[in-house]
Amino acid sequence: MPAEQAIGLATDMATMSLLALSAFLLLVVGRISFGQQAYFGVGAYTSALASTAAQWPLVPALAAGCVAGALAALALGLPTLRLAGLQYAVATLAFAEMLRIALQGWHWQWTTDDGNLIGPNGLEGFRDIRWLLENDVSALEFLVLAAVVLAAVLFGLGLLARRRAGVALRMVGHDDTLAAASGLPVARLRLAAATVAGALAALGGGLYAFRTTYIEPALIDPMLGVHAVGYALIGGMGTVFGPLLGVMFDLGLLEATRVFAGWRMVVFGGLVALFLRWRPRGLLDETLVHRLAQNFVRSGRQSDRRPLEIAR
Amino acid sequence: MGIELLQRTLDGLLDGASYALVGLGLTLTFGTLRRLNLAYGATAMLGAYVGAWLHLRFGAPAWAVAMAVVAVAALAGLYVEWLCFAGTSDDTPPGAGAATSARGGGPVAGADAREVVALASSFAVWMQLEQLAVNLLPRHLNPFPSLASAGEWSIGALVLRPDRLVLALLAVALCLGLAEWLARSRRGLAWRAAADQRVAAHLAGIAVPQVQRAAFAAASALAGFAAFAVLAVDGQVTPMFGMWILTKGLVAALLGGLGSVRGVLGGGLLLGVVEAHAQGMFGAFGREFAGWALLVVVLLAPWRRPTRGFPRGFAHAG
Amino acid sequence: MLEIRELATAYGKIEALKGVSLGAKAGEVTCLLGPNGAGKTTLMMTLSGILRPKRGSITFEGEELVGKTPAEIVARGLALVPENRLVFPALSVRENLLAGAFRRRDRAGIRDDVEKMLDRFPRLRERIGQLAGTLSGGEQQMLAVARALMSRPKLLLMDEPSVGLAPLVVAEIFSIIRQLHAEGTSIFLVEQNAHMALKVAQHFYLMEQGRVSFSGTPGQLAEDDVVQRAYLGQRRAA
Repeated sequence: MPAEQAIGLATDMATMSLLALSAFLLLVVGRISFGQQAYFGVGAYTSALASTAAQWPLVPALAAGCVAGALAALALGLPTLRLAGLQYAVATLAFAEMLRIALQGWHWQWTTDDGNLIGPNGLEGFRDIRWLLENDVSALEFLVLAAVVLAAVLFGLGLLARRRAGVALRMVGHDDTLAAASGLPVARLRLAAATVAGALAALGGGLYAFRTTYIEPALIDPMLGVHAVGYALIGGMGTVFGPLLGVMFDLGLLEATRVFAGWRMVVFGGLVALFLRWRPRGLLDETLVHRLAQNFVRSGRQSDRRPLEIAR
Repeated sequence: MGIELLQRTLDGLLDGASYALVGLGLTLTFGTLRRLNLAYGATAMLGAYVGAWLHLRFGAPAWAVAMAVVAVAALAGLYVEWLCFAGTSDDTPPGAGAATSARGGGPVAGADAREVVALASSFAVWMQLEQLAVNLLPRHLNPFPSLASAGEWSIGALVLRPDRLVLALLAVALCLGLAEWLARSRRGLAWRAAADQRVAAHLAGIAVPQVQRAAFAAASALAGFAAFAVLAVDGQVTPMFGMWILTKGLVAALLGGLGSVRGVLGGGLLLGVVEAHAQGMFGAFGREFAGWALLVVVLLAPWRRPTRGFPRGFAHAG
Repeated sequence: MLEIRELATAYGKIEALKGVSLGAKAGEVTCLLGPNGAGKTTLMMTLSGILRPKRGSITFEGEELVGKTPAEIVARGLALVPENRLVFPALSVRENLLAGAFRRRDRAGIRDDVEKMLDRFPRLRERIGQLAGTLSGGEQQMLAVARALMSRPKLLLMDEPSVGLAPLVVAEIFSIIRQLHAEGTSIFLVEQNAHMALKVAQHFYLMEQGRVSFSGTPGQLAEDDVVQRAYLGQRRAA
């Protein structure tokens, strides 16, 4: 595979991983969202606008996208998170579709200094998000940026997982009645998770916008969101690396099995379905992660005795 | 002005009836299994594409295409059932002792666990089937045997296409007929019992896995029939068809209460009318937007108590 | 009539039945007592085919039942009145009864039996068109028994029919059990209410932690000793 293609693939994996992590966060608190693509879109369009209209540099523009995504997630989360699982899933899809359709009708263009027309143009999309090109950022440099961002996010989430907040989130996901009875503010925790998830998806969207320089409403169709959930489910719910694994599984398979050409989804779809039959919590599920962690800890300690084994 | 409104309402009702027809199989599946089958649209689409292919390659007549569409959809439905839904429903009785989730539940633990797994794997199969269909006929626009009527009828100042009227009447007949069958027949009772309380159904001697399979096949066959009916009036099929079936059917079913066979009729009609008027006021974008907005309004309606899920089984079928 | 040998059933890694052997004779009321968690419900669920045992055999009138589907087992003449009643909440009382007769094809016979059930349980007749989910606990218990009887079983299995019911209703339930026994129905009864159960049973077993720990007739063990072991588990040797 030529280097340029590999760099492009890796960058795509990084942005998709952010979206998959977004879906993952909601799964952790016990909700399936088929609408994370909406925040992906919010992040993409906001970052693009910040970069072109407001002339903001890359990082502030991305940050603006994040904030927009978080706010949108907060706004939508308030009325919807009280819904039960399936209703919530459909509601998120509905909102995402509403956003997509609304974007189709959004025309807001202005003329740049060079005399070009730029801005969201309904179905035609939003072209010329050229910050990277104008500032001589190479594809490789951008990949490094994306990777650093992803690493930072993983680090942050990993830290969260260990602390009380992380455990609380998982408790909410496992049994919210029990969690509430244990005194956890279930609704607030869910909302917090949804807000962060919105920010993550928006971050992915912003990165995508800069990399491809062109975004359109069709970008955020339901397929994107459903795929994001799929990646999280396949990769495994046990750790934050699960969604990444899911992304690599799909995007990697796409490249690795060129042989399958027009049959990729047939193969992939079948594999996933079979897979879920026998390993419903994904590749890196909680039991495996727990066992790996145990072995890791045990190899660090020298004791071989198992104090709890009683001779029969 | 008044006539325009009436015409739009009429058009909306006719469109809505086809949404109801499309959603009938989906609501039936949810009613029997309490699971949402995401591959629903794809099974209908595969059937439709095979039918279109037969028509294109071999000049098959409309009746043969109809049979092929229904048969392929039913077979695809059985495949989905076997791969994604068989053996995923909870058979262990409530309160029957200690740890019952031998395999550690699904991605979302607890009551929703297996629901999520079935959802995820039906999504995967959706991808599968859709690609199979598109590989068969790679072009975007594919001709479908057309049973569209040439002319229109006039009722006073209103205009009505007979083919769409027939479609609408078929939809009403099927929805109400299925509801009656479920309420009155012995087999319908078995389906409702299996949906209502699975373990008790086992204990009553009902062969629950067979009931599940039969209901799934019937739902898929209905989807195939709906697909044929809709496409025969349209005269063509595109790769967007699978998604269209799923979304329209899902919204219609949800509006009427998932699992309710009579409800999907009402839901579909409501959706059709709202879309028609939205189109009149806001154009094509408005139409699509309104459909989703209606769903959101219904889901978030403040007078609804947040429930743990949808009404179980065919509670409203009778 | 019913012969269970070395039956073992597990939930994942947890063995709820560790090798149970017991039997029930035709025409008798056989009772199984035991504390919570002993595995009684697991046994009933295995008998009716809902759970698959890891090993062991269940012979009913000479035929092996392990491996058969629940529907096939009902067809062979075993019917279970499950713990927690498990009626069909969204179906009417009449439909619940009809569901119980699902394996039968004789329409006239079924209609007659429905009438007989309504005679036997007059409160159900009053509520014949009501949804089963709206009935009281006692009424649901009657309905569950009636539904099981609709299949004209050779052996009626009952899992804790008196639990959670008012004393008056409990007395009614046991009088029905006595009635059925007098009419010749064989009954296999799982109970926590040792006092009432010992009055109706001809033979009883005691189950603790997945194993049968005692087998005998009601007179063979002083009643309070049975109650001790049934409710509190094995008495530790002093």
